[in-house]
Amino acid sequence: MANTFATSAAEGTSSAFQFPEIYSFPPFFSRQPNEATWREQRRQWCELILAYYKHNRLYSMSLAEAATEPPFTNRQIHRSLRVDVLRELVDELVKQGNAVWTGAKNTKDSCLIFWRKPDVWASMIHQWASERGMFNTVLTLFELTNGDDTVGQEFHNLDPTTLRRALDVLQSQGKAQLFVGTSDEDMGVKFFT
Amino acid sequence: MRRAVGIGGLRRKEAERQALSKKGNELAQREILQEQIALMKDNLEDFVRDHQKDIRNNPVFRVQVQRMCQLIGVDPLASRKGYMSEILGVGDFYCELGIQIIDICVATRTMNGGLIDIEELRERLVRKRVRGSEPIIEDDIKRAISQLKPLKGGYKIVQFGKRKIVQSVAREMNLDQSKVLTLAQHSCKFNMEDVRIAFGWDVDRIIACIDDMLRSGIIWIDDYNSTQPEYWVPAFYLQFSNRNSF
Repeated sequence: MANTFATSAAEGTSSAFQFPEIYSFPPFFSRQPNEATWREQRRQWCELILAYYKHNRLYSMSLAEAATEPPFTNRQIHRSLRVDVLRELVDELVKQGNAVWTGAKNTKDSCLIFWRKPDVWASMIHQWASERGMFNTVLTLFELTNGDDTVGQEFHNLDPTTLRRALDVLQSQGKAQLFVGTSDEDMGVKFFT
Repeated sequence: MRRAVGIGGLRRKEAERQALSKKGNELAQREILQEQIALMKDNLEDFVRDHQKDIRNNPVFRVQVQRMCQLIGVDPLASRKGYMSEILGVGDFYCELGIQIIDICVATRTMNGGLIDIEELRERLVRKRVRGSEPIIEDDIKRAISQLKPLKGGYKIVQFGKRKIVQSVAREMNLDQSKVLTLAQHSCKFNMEDVRIAFGWDVDRIIACIDDMLRSGIIWIDDYNSTQPEYWVPAFYLQFSNRNSF
């Protein structure tokens, strides 16, 4: 996603999220019947969702709940996106690789939003392991995202499910090995070149 | 029989001489005039060359120079190879502007159905042209658009009430649509009831008009109030240039 606005929000600072102009256009919250218009509307919504979730470092979404909150509700103009429309948007994000459905099968009630795709997280983490000489050392997943060594890293405080996805990518590339512990937090990982 | 040189003959000769001299004067005058025009063209050329930078940077001055050119029958835009357009740089200027207009219209078309407010377009152009500090005025946009005609892309300026809108799709707006858009020029939106009250049309006619405009993407539906949905005109409402946009 190459827009100036997303990069300015990348630091995850507490500065207010700046909504695009179309956010105050009331029909933006109604699904447009014209196919070409809808595709454009969907594209803008998808970008907005990713930018908003990135800005606020949000990872998971429960659709029914999310629909009543920003960005899916704009209280200033009293408009909300319907849940079925939101579901269509998430379907599109899933297709792009920017989201996965979670929870019970086929209910499509909750999802994970990947404002950064798992393979991008994967290479960030691997890069860090390389720079810190962490190869061939077992680290717990908790250490990896919450330990002192990763403070200031983009993946510090990363959501556990997204982290698992990223490590799965590294494992499939032969760049990491996961070890099962007694609990999820005990899970370990070893990185290789 | 030899004819004597009579008074009548002398008079005839005198008349011929005078006619010739008159013709000669006319010719001379035309020559002088042509010389003068040529001189003026030269002067204008020098003038334009000397003030090239001002012409590029000052829109008011640019228009004045163009008017001057038109007055003495020089159209700097008439031919691409014309000396004036080369010197003025106006050929390049409007060509470049035209391309940027196309860029903006194409990029926003899915949002606005190919209708964009001329002021919105102007602001977007100004933002697009960060490096050159050449201000753009409405007149420049009109000129650039008239130059786009040969492309047959349907680029033209249409008016709905006070709204001047650049249309970038080859589609004729019918009278009903124009009327409804004019009705919405200030509020940017309308509903079926507004149209019925304003024009007294029956429901079928209103629906047909709305459907046409939805299909071509020039209006968006807001069905928040499901019993009386509202229809918004993005070309009137959206001013992306003023704020952040994706």
